[in-house]
Amino acid sequence: MPVIDIKGLSKTYNETMVPVHALNGVNLSFEKGEFTAIVGPSGCGKTTLLNMIGGLDYPTSGEVIIGGEDITKMKSAKLVEFRLRNIGFIFQSYNLIPVLTVKENTEFIMELQHRNPTEIKERVQYLLAAMGLSDKMNVRPKYLSGGQQQRVAVARALASKPTFILADEPTANLDSKSTNTLLDLMATLNEKEQVTFIFSTHDQRVMDKAKRIVTLEDGKVISDSKIATSHEHAGV
Amino acid sequence: MLLRVAWRNVWRNKARSMVIVIAVALGLWGGIFSDAFMQGMSQQLVHSVIYTQTGNIQLNQPGFLVNHDMALTIPNTDSIVTQVENIPGVAGAATDIQIAAMASTASGSAGIMINGINPGEYVKVNELNKMLTEGDYFKDSRANQIVIGQQLADKLKVKLHSRIVVTLQTTAGNIVYGAFRITGIYSTSSTDFDGQTVYVRDDDIRTLVNYLPGQASIITVLLHNNDDTKKVTDAIRGAYPNLQVQPWMELSPLLQMVTGTVQQTAYIFVGIILIALAFGIINTMLMAVLDRTHEIGMLLSIGMKPRLIFSMFMLETVFLSLTGAAAGMAVSIGSIYWFGQKGINLSVVAQGINAFGYSSVVYPTLGVDFYADLALMVFVIAMIAGVFPARRAIRLKPAEAVRGD
Repeated sequence: MPVIDIKGLSKTYNETMVPVHALNGVNLSFEKGEFTAIVGPSGCGKTTLLNMIGGLDYPTSGEVIIGGEDITKMKSAKLVEFRLRNIGFIFQSYNLIPVLTVKENTEFIMELQHRNPTEIKERVQYLLAAMGLSDKMNVRPKYLSGGQQQRVAVARALASKPTFILADEPTANLDSKSTNTLLDLMATLNEKEQVTFIFSTHDQRVMDKAKRIVTLEDGKVISDSKIATSHEHAGV
Repeated sequence: MLLRVAWRNVWRNKARSMVIVIAVALGLWGGIFSDAFMQGMSQQLVHSVIYTQTGNIQLNQPGFLVNHDMALTIPNTDSIVTQVENIPGVAGAATDIQIAAMASTASGSAGIMINGINPGEYVKVNELNKMLTEGDYFKDSRANQIVIGQQLADKLKVKLHSRIVVTLQTTAGNIVYGAFRITGIYSTSSTDFDGQTVYVRDDDIRTLVNYLPGQASIITVLLHNNDDTKKVTDAIRGAYPNLQVQPWMELSPLLQMVTGTVQQTAYIFVGIILIALAFGIINTMLMAVLDRTHEIGMLLSIGMKPRLIFSMFMLETVFLSLTGAAAGMAVSIGSIYWFGQKGINLSVVAQGINAFGYSSVVYPTLGVDFYADLALMVFVIAMIAGVFPARRAIRLKPAEAVRGD
């Protein structure tokens, strides 16, 4: 059974005089443990697709079934709770809470989930160690490099033990070294914890690590290819 | 965690927060200090009236105060004074023969109110002896001494040791004259009072108007604590149902109204300041929401309930406001304490304010209950001011906010 099953998903923005069809009948499904890159030119609908999968926006039509539930039918209050329990987010500009330390940023989501303090402490230590940030626990984000901040964001996304993680252009603001470090960490966690990762990206380095590449154009899936190993180049 | 995040968020933009904290602090300081100033003036006025004019309570015959009818006197005042002084809370009681009269000198004449007192007893209920600017307070036993106010002395163009002739009626309705020598000149904070009130020994006036020993117009009662006025008034009323027993609030209803109004005015004044500050707070918090659109989008995306985001902004507003309020109160307490000791000298405008009975040196004072009320008012205003920005925050759409749209 797929983790995410998308059926006939369409989204039309009517904010201007001319309707914009951001997604046009997308059908996709994602299995547990996949490491997928959604690629395509700017404006092809990558971010819109991620927003729909993440329950951040409602589609014009279609279904997004996660864990047997169609999240497009959920009321916004229920969606918030659903996101908290099931989805991890990684953003292009990290979006850490600047007034909290690395440790507190990672703890924050678990506190929202009302996890017990011992579990929170142990998981934070484990994740920050895995991210190579044990020595930065009590540092605020502004004292970290972009790569380090994005690793905190990954730790935060993983902290809630989500069913899958959505990452919107996670490497767009990172240099090559930081990108490689981050991708390696995510690939390791994907292998180790069987967390499903879905990226939207323009970055060839991300595509190189992906096990599956979905290409969008004009709101439609034009190709969907699985790669044998994460190190093989995806010939899209 | 929410409290911690909210508190730290207040200080994210230190300059902006400090501006509003200082604005709240200064606004409240202005409101609090002006209230303390008005309270100080009002309390001094009450103190002055009680200790120089009415005492806390007065006993007299019903109708006496209407036209000072000389026939309406209290007999056997000695036993009444003794019994009243035994009532708990009473500091002292003293008699007073109060008669309307005319004072004349070579330079002029004026209507006066003669108070025939026993100087030794009267100090228990009146601070006249402390208000002499010249002369003394019935120091020796010579007959026909008179203590007059500075205002009257100026009006009659008389000085210490000058002679004054008073014209008054006896109980039989005959006109009599008495010549008195000025042995003391006093000055209270009320120029009106000083211009018409004189004090003589009760024995001197009793001889003139044919009052019997123990007969007086008024018994003045002073209490240890003004707060006991109502309780003691009721006790005396119970003991002397045939006498008119009035607390100072009834004797001087205007004063009661003024003191009551001061309190209400203070709340209205501070309320207006707080409402004005609320707009500053709203503006600051709206700026904070605008600055943190990305972050709010992220919080909504990761599953933070809008209710919690709303609470976070409400807490930030309350913290910001209460920090300003605490600073304002600290400055107020310090300045009120300092000026409460040193006083604020208004001698430049003394003539004007003395005409209303106010002292020219004001000692600001403020009760603890006002600070508590103020903290509550700030809290309520902060809660109201916080609603609009907090609602704005939770109405953001996560997908748009996270991109900063």
